[in-house]
Amino acid sequence: MASFLFRTIQSHSFLLCPTTLLRRNNGAFYCSMKSTHTQTATQEKQQPPPKIKSSPQGNQAKTRTLDRISKEYEAIIGIETHVQLSTLTKAFCTCPYNYGAQPNTSVCPICMGLPGALPVVNSKVVEFAVKLGLALNCKLSFNSKFDRKQYFYPDLPKGYQISQFDIPIATGGYLDVDLPVEYGGGHRRFGITRVHMEEDAGKLLHADDGVSYALQVDLNRAGVPLLEIVSEPDMRTGLEAAEYAAELQRLVRYLGVSNGNMQEGSLRCDVNVSIRPVGQSKFGTKVEIKNLNSFSSINRAIDFEIARQALLYSQGKADQIVQETRLWEEGSQKTVTMRKKEGLADYRYFPEPDLPEVILNKEYVDSIQSSLPELPEMKRRRYEEMGLSMQDVLFLANDINVARFFDATIGKGADVKLAANWIMGDIAAHMKNEKLTINEIKLSAAELAELIASIKGATISGKIGKEILFELMAKGGTVNGIIKEKDLVQIVDPSEIEKMVDKVFSENPKQLEQYRGGKTKLQGFFAGQVMKISKGKANPGLLNKILLEKLNAKS
Amino acid sequence: MPTRYYYYDYDYNNRTRNCSTTTTRSSLEPPDVPRLAQTARISLTPHEVEEFAPKIRQVIDWFGQLQDVDLDSVDPALRADSETGYLREDIPKTFKNRESMIAAVPSYDEPYIKVPKVLNKE
Repeated sequence: MASFLFRTIQSHSFLLCPTTLLRRNNGAFYCSMKSTHTQTATQEKQQPPPKIKSSPQGNQAKTRTLDRISKEYEAIIGIETHVQLSTLTKAFCTCPYNYGAQPNTSVCPICMGLPGALPVVNSKVVEFAVKLGLALNCKLSFNSKFDRKQYFYPDLPKGYQISQFDIPIATGGYLDVDLPVEYGGGHRRFGITRVHMEEDAGKLLHADDGVSYALQVDLNRAGVPLLEIVSEPDMRTGLEAAEYAAELQRLVRYLGVSNGNMQEGSLRCDVNVSIRPVGQSKFGTKVEIKNLNSFSSINRAIDFEIARQALLYSQGKADQIVQETRLWEEGSQKTVTMRKKEGLADYRYFPEPDLPEVILNKEYVDSIQSSLPELPEMKRRRYEEMGLSMQDVLFLANDINVARFFDATIGKGADVKLAANWIMGDIAAHMKNEKLTINEIKLSAAELAELIASIKGATISGKIGKEILFELMAKGGTVNGIIKEKDLVQIVDPSEIEKMVDKVFSENPKQLEQYRGGKTKLQGFFAGQVMKISKGKANPGLLNKILLEKLNAKS
Repeated sequence: MPTRYYYYDYDYNNRTRNCSTTTTRSSLEPPDVPRLAQTARISLTPHEVEEFAPKIRQVIDWFGQLQDVDLDSVDPALRADSETGYLREDIPKTFKNRESMIAAVPSYDEPYIKVPKVLNKE
C-alpha cells in the first residue's frame, strides 16, 4: 500500500492567533441554529467510520470542479479545535458539569466571577492535557503557566478567560490519519502546533420577548475545562480536514478525556482556509470559517470556500478576498460574511497572578505515558498486519470498545477474518437496530470465539450458527448451552443423511421422476426437504454430495 | 487602572516574544489614556482624561525604575512566585448559597441572567 506522508510546512506567514474576534460566540449559534444535518459519524452509541454524505450527481460535478481548481491552486487549511474535557468538576472550581442541566444551577462565586473568588486548578485537567499531548506526539513543557485573555462579553463573567498564551503545555506534535477507502484511501500526517488548557465561557441565547432585544446568559458551562488544539496548516482538501477532525474525536474518546461530541459542543472546530496559485510561494489571504457542526460540514464548507476563492482569483478579483470570519450556513450550503473586522483584537495577555506555575516531572509524565491505551493509529497498523482489509481495519479500530471486543475474541483463538465479519455484519446490525453499544449486548467475546470455533469445527452449520448468535445477543447464555438445549448439533454421519434422503425420495416420487427426466434444478428442492426433516442440522456439503450421488446413481 | 510594566506580544509568525520594555526608565511610552479607557470600558470626560494622564504616568514611571536593573545574566522566570503548584482533586462539591448569588443578579429572568444586547465583541 502506498504510504503518503505529509511534511509540515517549515516557513509560512500564517497568522493564527488573536484575530479571532468572534471565537467566543459559540453559545449564541449553538442555541439559535438547529443543525439540519445529523451526521452519521457521531451517533451516540455505535458509530461506523464517518461517512461524508453527498448526492452522486452533485458529487461528480463537484469533483470535476475541484479537480480543475486543484490543478491551478493550492489550498492551505489549518484547524483550531476545542475539546471539552469530561472531568467531574470545572477547571478552577468544584462545580460539577452536566450537559443539559437547568440553567444557572451549577455555579459558584469562582465561575460566576464574583469579587474575591480565587481559582484553584483541577488536577485532572493537567492529567488530561498531558495525556493528549503525549498521544499527539508533542513535546511537553515541564513548566508552563496560565495567562489572562481579556475581553468583554456577557458570557465571560470575569471579563477575562484563563488560558495559556505563550507557554502552552504541549507543542510540536503530529497526528496520523487514514483516509476512508471509498475516497481513495491513503495515509496522512498532520502537524500539531500546540495544545493548551483553558476554560469555557457560558452560553448565550437571544431572548424571545421582542421588546427589549435582550440576551440571556446561562453560566453552567462557564469554567468548564477545554483543551485547545491548533494544527499546522497541513491539510489541502475538505476531506483531509474532516478526517483530521474525525481522528481527533476518535483519539479523545480512546483516551477517555472527552466524549468528543460535535452536536453537544464537546468538540468544536474552526477552520482557516487560504489558496494560492500553484507555484506561488506567497500565501494567500486567510479566511476563518465558524459554525461547523459536523464532519461533513467541515468538508463541504472548506470545498465551498476553496471554490469561492478560486473563482475570485480567476476573475482577477483576488483582492476581494479579505481576512475575515465567515459562517457556514447549513441550509444554503455556503459561507457568508459574519461582519467585517474592526481592527485586530487586543487581548492584553499577562500571566494569571492567581495561579501558580504548572510543574510536571519525569515520573508523572512517564506514569501517564505507560497508562495510555493502544492508540487508533497503532491499532490500525496492527490490524493491517493481521491481514485484514483496510475497510475492516477502519471499522474495527474506529470505536475503542469494538476494538477491545475484537481483540478479546481473537485472543481466545478465533479466526481473525471470521471474527471481523461477524462483528461488522450481524453484530453491528443488531447494535444499530436495538440502539446498543457493544458493551451492552449480551453476547460476550468469549462466546463469539466459541461460536466461531464450533462452526469451523463443523459441530454446527453456519446457518445454525447465525441463529445461535441472535439468541446470544438477545438473551446471553453460552454456545454449548444453547446447542445442548435445542439439540442443534450438525448431522455429519453419512448413513443418517442417506436415510433422510431415501425418505425424501420415497415421499416425493413425482419430483424424482421429473429430475430423472432432466429437471436438474429440483436438486435444490430435495436438499430443502432433507434440511426440513433434519431441522436444519444436516451438513449442507455432505448432504449435497450424498444427494447428487443418489440422484445420479439410479439413472 | 492597569499598572502593567510588561507587555507580551506573541508573534506566531516568528514564534518569539517581543517585550516592549527597554532598559532606560524614561523610554516607557506615555499612556494613551483615551485608548486605555476604551479598552477598560470606563468612560472619561475630556477633563478627566487630562487630569488622569499625568497621574497614570507617574505610577508607570514608578514601576519603570525596575528597568534599571541589569538582567543580562538572568534567565527570565515564568512567574514571580516560588510556591509549588497546588492542584486539587476532581471531586464535585455544590456551592451551598446559590440563592444569594442569584438574588444579587441585577436582572434575573428565571432561569437566565438577562443582559442588554451587545453590538459587537471587544
